[in-house]
Amino acid sequence: MHMLEVENLTKRFGGLTAVNKVNFHINEGEIVGLIGPNGAGKTTLFHLLTGFLKPDSGTVKFRDEDVTGLEPHKLVNKGIARTFQVVRPFRHLPTIANVMVALECPRGRKKIEWLKTCERKALEMLEDVGLSEMMFEPAENLAHGDLKRLEIARALATEPDLLLLDEPFGGLSPIETEYLTKSIRRMHLDGHTMIIVEHKLHALMKLAKRVIVLHYGEKIAEGTPEEIAKNKKVIEVYMGKAM
Amino acid sequence: MSLGDNALVDILLLETLLLYGAITGAVYALLALGFTLIYGVAEVVNMAHGALFMLGAYMFFAFSLAPKNPPLGIASPFALEPGLALIAAMIFVGIVGSIIYVLVINPVIKDVLASIVVTVALAIVLQQAVYIEFGGTHRPVLPFVSGSTIILGVTMTYTKLLAFGTSLILFAIIALFMWKAKIGKAMRATAQDREAAMLMGVNTTRICMLTMFISASLAALAGILIAGSTAQPANPQMWLTPLSMSFAIVILGGLGSIKGTFIGAFVVGYAENAVALLIPGGSFLKGAVALATMVAVLLIRPKGLFGKRIELEE
Amino acid sequence: MAAYVRRAYSSFLTHVIDIPPRLLSLLFLSLLACIPVIVSPTALSIYFLGVLITANIMAIFASSWDLLVGRAGQISLGHALFFGIGAYASALVLRYAGLPLWVTIPIGVLVGTLAAVPVGFPCLRVKGPYLALVTMALPLIATGILYYYRDYTGGEQGLPVPRFFPFIQNLYHQRVAEYYLTLLALLISAIIIYKIVNSKTGIIFVSILDDEVGAKACGINVTKYKLLAFAISALFASLAGSLQAPLIYLASPASFSLNLSFYAIIITIFGGIGTIYGAIAASYIIYFLDQYILTIPQLEILGTKILPLPTVWHPLIFIVVVIIFVVKWPRGIARFVVEDGLTELSKEREIEERGKHIWKKYKKKKQEATESTAEG
Repeated sequence: MHMLEVENLTKRFGGLTAVNKVNFHINEGEIVGLIGPNGAGKTTLFHLLTGFLKPDSGTVKFRDEDVTGLEPHKLVNKGIARTFQVVRPFRHLPTIANVMVALECPRGRKKIEWLKTCERKALEMLEDVGLSEMMFEPAENLAHGDLKRLEIARALATEPDLLLLDEPFGGLSPIETEYLTKSIRRMHLDGHTMIIVEHKLHALMKLAKRVIVLHYGEKIAEGTPEEIAKNKKVIEVYMGKAM
Repeated sequence: MSLGDNALVDILLLETLLLYGAITGAVYALLALGFTLIYGVAEVVNMAHGALFMLGAYMFFAFSLAPKNPPLGIASPFALEPGLALIAAMIFVGIVGSIIYVLVINPVIKDVLASIVVTVALAIVLQQAVYIEFGGTHRPVLPFVSGSTIILGVTMTYTKLLAFGTSLILFAIIALFMWKAKIGKAMRATAQDREAAMLMGVNTTRICMLTMFISASLAALAGILIAGSTAQPANPQMWLTPLSMSFAIVILGGLGSIKGTFIGAFVVGYAENAVALLIPGGSFLKGAVALATMVAVLLIRPKGLFGKRIELEE
Repeated sequence: MAAYVRRAYSSFLTHVIDIPPRLLSLLFLSLLACIPVIVSPTALSIYFLGVLITANIMAIFASSWDLLVGRAGQISLGHALFFGIGAYASALVLRYAGLPLWVTIPIGVLVGTLAAVPVGFPCLRVKGPYLALVTMALPLIATGILYYYRDYTGGEQGLPVPRFFPFIQNLYHQRVAEYYLTLLALLISAIIIYKIVNSKTGIIFVSILDDEVGAKACGINVTKYKLLAFAISALFASLAGSLQAPLIYLASPASFSLNLSFYAIIITIFGGIGTIYGAIAASYIIYFLDQYILTIPQLEILGTKILPLPTVWHPLIFIVVVIIFVVKWPRGIARFVVEDGLTELSKEREIEERGKHIWKKYKKKKQEATESTAEG
């Protein structure tokens, strides 16, 4: 059984077909890359997989259960979480509260108790991404790199099995990229399956065992990073037609 | 009563509906056009649009009062001819609109909550100001042309016909302006993409002020025409109904579409007249028609008939 | 200017005086509680107490609005709907079932809270200006229904409602009793709202205010929480409404008016939207201003009589002030609150208090964990 099965997924916006009969599957424990030029439909695909858009046709099956078109929060409860390409923290809340929103805080006997438990758990998640120093800082004061890490911490706080990362390396410095690569490896070891959309191909190829390529909403190639790098069609799509 | 009599009455009713609906639709089209324009160009939902409608009616009243009009207790130095008073009122309200835009709306244009609160607050300011100046009793807006004629067996006052004609002509003028005139094109550019227009050298703030001037004067004109042709007195609370009306029409026709606004206005105009004429005691329900339309559209097809802006999740 | 005053004031509190806001609220409350004791039973004091009683009620109403709009981000321009429902539900039960006030008021509150569900549902599907218009339209519809069934609801005249304490003969003592009753109601409401705002639910509300999409991505059932916000807000608004009716001996259609809805907005924005305590404090300030500063003193500038202002001008002045407030802080009204209101969560002394505590325990746990793995 595949963890995620996507069959003939299609989404149209007026005259534009953003995602066109896309088929693929994800197995437990994989890190799969999703690449393609801008406008290929990668983020749209993410929206479809996480319930923010309803597909026009096609199905999405998560662990053999049909989850096509379910509401976002229901999908999160089933174990699918995502980050966003453009960071969207909760600006008014301090960093720690940003994570607390996503946490499932079991109610203890006393109210004081479980709020503190919640905060403690949130702090651990912040530690994992290296943001614990900022815990009471309003999220809007954070630097871009920190916000990217916060996005991931928040997604992890929902305790997902499948994590969809949308351009997590966007705008990061080389050091931050290193750090994030290590974090993703650690998350992988912890048992998270991941689909990563990324333009920074060198960072992605280090992590992904399998890569899917989209172009104008269609899947044009699939394979290991080495295979994809040699694939003529993919090269054409990224570089333009050879002379 | 024989069958023949009944049939006559029915035809008369339908003809009344046909003609009255057209007039109402035309004037509503003007009102809603103003609303759509400022939404399209400045991306502002002007909750004070109905208040400008009201202000128009009141200013017409003020400009046309003769100094020797003691029974109403207000002296006015103007005493203009109805035609002049109308133009004066339109210009006055247009200027008020531009000032409101540049002082109050433009600074908060990016924040949806703030712009809504601020424009509603402005509407209330206008309500209070009108109340202070003119008092709370209803003020009659006199029809500017007396006399009537009979078309298809229905009595039509000249005022109503004038309202119809004026509305259509003005709508056509504005449409032409938007498409042919340079400034009109600048307005459309700003509506499509404010930043791109700025990069093209368009002074978007001035364009928005101009749009607001037009929007406000259209609202004022609609206020005068409706008050004059339906002999409804003006009162300080009368700004909510035209606001709901504009909303309903614009939502029905689709946000940002002028064609949609035009058609939506006639749909609502006819619906309202149908309710008033065909349902006994229906005139009380007129306001409800607008709201009901709006709710129905929002629930069934939020895009409206010709809507362009698609509400994506993000 | 007010922003600087406010910032100076809050940094004054945290750095110089170092009074935690709880203590300050306690002081304020004690002051309020002592007023009837200090004041002597004259006709003026009866009037004065009357003003304060109204302020108590409006504080409950305004803080309920602040919860819905300032914390959960649902723009409501017709909050008087719930106020009116509370007043009328209580009055109707009183008239037709003959039950006493202390039973009908909770019933009024219950009805008001339940009303939030049918009201909330259409409100959930719309955002921004559509929501604003729908919320403005609802009280109008309610008024229409009220007038249509005038035989049952008393139409424009309203429904008569008995006083709270008919057994107290002395008018002054009656006012004092009413004052303490409403003050108690305010205290309970404020505490409950405060607790909600500082709980996980409160945090979730703010997340919905900030970014609904992000909240959904965190697994929040946004619809459920929006309804919850409406319900809690409606609860306190209808409490305010059902408490007010016996004070004016009437459940009147004015309790659905747009002006009333706007009082909540004026008060809350004045006090700092999102802060809750701002709405409460501002209620007193506004009513004081309205009744005393604008009405009683005489002020002439350059020969023109400025004060007292005719009553008709008061709402205008306040609305203009609101406009100025909103415009002068174009970062947005809600942003204005970050420094003041939501810093409850991130204020310096809280950091020291809670941060140290959590950090210490956490470090200890980590140490123990590393020690045990080192041994094992």
